[in-house]
Amino acid sequence: MSVAVHLAGITKRFPGVVANDEVDLEVEEGSVHALLGENGAGKTTLMNVLYGLYQPDGGTVHVHGDSREFYTPRDAIDAGVGMIHQHFMLVDTLTTAENIVLGHEPRKWGGLAMDRAQAERDVRELGERYGFDVDPEAKIEDVSVGVQQRVEILKALYGGADVLILDEPTAVLTPQEVEDLFGVFEELAAEDKTIIFITHKLGEAMDAADEITVLRDGRNVGTVDAADTTREELAELMVGREVLLEADKEPAEPGDVGLSVSDLRVTDDRGVEQVSGVNIDVREGEVFGIAGVDGNGQSELVGAITGLRAPESGTVRVDGRDVTDLSRRERIENGMAYVPEDRQKRGLVMDFDLVENGLLGSQHTAPFSDGGRIDWAESREHARGVIEEYDVRPNDPDAEAESLSGGNQQKFVVGREFARDPEVVVASHPTRGVDVGSIEFIHERILDLRRAGKTVLLVSSKLDEVQQLSDRLGVMYEGEVVDVVDPDRVTEEELGLLMAGQIPEDAPSIADAVGGEP
Amino acid sequence: MSIADSRRGRWIAALLVLLGIVVALELFAGVLGVLVDIVDANYLRAVLRLTVPIAFAALGGIFAEKSGVINIGLEGLLIISAFTSIAVAGLLGGGDATQAELWIGFGSAVLASVLFALLFAVVCIEFKADQIIAGLAVWLIALGLAPFASKVIWGQVNSPPIATLNNWTLRIPTTDVVLFDASPPVFMMLISVPVAWYALNRTAFGRWIEASGENPKALDTVGVDVRKVRYTGVLLSGFFSGLGGAGLALGRVGQFIGGGTTMVNGRGWIGITAYLFGNYNPLGAFGASFLFASLDALQIRLQQLGYNVPSELIGIIPYVTVVVVLAFVGRTRLPSAAGDHYESGEE
Ligand SMILES: Nc1ncnc2c1ncn2[C@@H]1O[C@H](COP(=O)(O)OP(=O)(O)OP(=O)(O)O)[C@@H](O)[C@H]1O
Ligand SMILES: [Mg+2]
Repeated sequence: MSVAVHLAGITKRFPGVVANDEVDLEVEEGSVHALLGENGAGKTTLMNVLYGLYQPDGGTVHVHGDSREFYTPRDAIDAGVGMIHQHFMLVDTLTTAENIVLGHEPRKWGGLAMDRAQAERDVRELGERYGFDVDPEAKIEDVSVGVQQRVEILKALYGGADVLILDEPTAVLTPQEVEDLFGVFEELAAEDKTIIFITHKLGEAMDAADEITVLRDGRNVGTVDAADTTREELAELMVGREVLLEADKEPAEPGDVGLSVSDLRVTDDRGVEQVSGVNIDVREGEVFGIAGVDGNGQSELVGAITGLRAPESGTVRVDGRDVTDLSRRERIENGMAYVPEDRQKRGLVMDFDLVENGLLGSQHTAPFSDGGRIDWAESREHARGVIEEYDVRPNDPDAEAESLSGGNQQKFVVGREFARDPEVVVASHPTRGVDVGSIEFIHERILDLRRAGKTVLLVSSKLDEVQQLSDRLGVMYEGEVVDVVDPDRVTEEELGLLMAGQIPEDAPSIADAVGGEP
Repeated sequence: MSIADSRRGRWIAALLVLLGIVVALELFAGVLGVLVDIVDANYLRAVLRLTVPIAFAALGGIFAEKSGVINIGLEGLLIISAFTSIAVAGLLGGGDATQAELWIGFGSAVLASVLFALLFAVVCIEFKADQIIAGLAVWLIALGLAPFASKVIWGQVNSPPIATLNNWTLRIPTTDVVLFDASPPVFMMLISVPVAWYALNRTAFGRWIEASGENPKALDTVGVDVRKVRYTGVLLSGFFSGLGGAGLALGRVGQFIGGGTTMVNGRGWIGITAYLFGNYNPLGAFGASFLFASLDALQIRLQQLGYNVPSELIGIIPYVTVVVVLAFVGRTRLPSAAGDHYESGEE
């Protein structure tokens, strides 16, 4: 087997940070390689160097044995390197086929017209060859994230890529979609394509990859064979210490109902009903988990609870007070904290620094403001506190949110929200894109909230996360909570069935969600 | 589904507005029957001529904005080209310029508009100026420059009248049956609208324009130069506006009028409302331009018939319509990256 990609001594510095420090990496042709590492370890930076988005300060890039210098992604694409970013680069208003052939459109009539039939045929053929099905005529804005990702992969293949880089490709996928994606990896590898993917999930790296490289603080701390490593070994390599992979939790001591949702109906932007009569009571000192395949109404439910989306009918109560018609601000003042699903859209203002971002949601209340002016010294202290406690890197309140790695952005948002000293916490995917060390930390904080008698509603597409943390677990399917189960007794298979809308016969269901005593 | 809905919504809104206009006119004119007298072949001809500057401005605006550069300077481009066409033709041939001289004027006007648009593009793309402010500047400069140059050339803000372009006549081959007889800019407009639609919807270039305005990074990473696409979009807005301005001056009026808001008189702005109304679709934009022009023609006609309809009132109808459409139908979808600068390689 020949080496497809060889990075030798890559160094990349940003002002004040060495993101990559003499990193060596070799990836064989036709293999799948996983890149693991903590938030800010330099994974994305290293791949951006390989893709020509950044020029390294030192070291060389070799593709298929030739030393190459990539000044733009174009150069990398020409050398057969394609990259699929965490944020997809697709044109929402064009069809999947149009996106895939963008820039390389087949022409007819001497170039005057785009040959759309040909484009659609090419896309179908390419899809069939690798076992994906995408509808060439569907618009990107109408297809799921999983399909968009396939479109990205097909786009890279259409452009002639034989080395594919994927940055945290599974972060936005459902468990089923993740499995499909790994199936695609296999097909691609069988066709001698080389795949490098970044992930935070140890299990995924071990399942899907042939070899795993771990980065820590910008250095390559080891490349191991996926077949003979353990989760514990990988976690220790990443973090440099032993990591508790399972959060320990003592039995819940539920108190009064802290958050109560009754008969809630919510429609999405297009007016389609996404939440169809949901009833949930979450007690103080309890974590209520919501599992389900993305797009079954979780976002709309959370939107209605947090005040970002007006429900069609139904009520939301916090500590018995009806907050259904209260604004976001009034809900915050009523003690509701919210970790949003999309940190970049909802959680942070990307070109604000951390002092300003730390203030968001509290900008009009003491101690940060007297109602008119903002106390910047106090705000800076606050941001510094969150940074320290949650180990946000770089440790600099003046850094713009944009310059933080994805996981560090997430840690900052979680830290800010938990620092509100809330009564009710609504957390959507709180550990998305966060490394194992920090996941452990965030999980501990959630359990701290529970110990302190707070009410926690946790929405996550990671089954192990909701299972570990929740005291009761509701499964959503097509806008309804189809069942509430005991997370300690339910099996993954049963959950899988519930998420697909079927109620297994002997599911350990807890009679009903409303007032259910654990 | 949602598209069909929005279409229906649009038409309902348009009908409501039209109904309102008819009711209003009835109040003024007192008789609905007048309408029947008005709508004849001559009226249609007048409407088509009045549509020319609006529709061309709209077509140009579509190309610029879809590529990501909002060009609100269309009004200014129309003024520049209207002035240039008369100035060049007048300088060449004076009061009785020949057709050839008129056509040279026509070409020069298009060139002048394209050059102006180029200036705008450089300011917006290279120097990253705010597009709205730069667009306003284009308009204000044209509004000041054209009357000033008129004074220098003719000693007053209005030019003396010169000839207009001869009509083109379309006959059924080998017979004398006239199918269509209209001034050349009308022909050009009727050809440009479907061509623009085709270019946007059926060519690779059209996809690039779309991508450049929606997600320029996606286009950049597949190796298409976003700057070139945007320059092309803006230059096309100059080209079409040039046809519109020259068409207005040489096709219909035969004179440059530089007083007040000039002879262009807000038609560039109405062009913007027309493409918003048409949701960036050249066919829709043409329909809207036609609708607005027909109101204009109606008002002129009513005045000829002796009904005194305040023209200012009719003049605001396009703007009211667009507010109604944007507010109540609300389906016009701006390109996501319109108005944003794009720098290749920026993370
Ligand atoms: N454009 C930039 N400007 C300044 N610093 C940057 C920039 N991009 C990354 N960094 C810094 O470089 C380091 C490595 O970041 P990188 O994004 O590669 O991390 P990562 O391993 O991908 O992390 P995550 O898992 O959180 O995505 C971080 O300290 C980050 O703050
Ligand atoms: Mg990253």
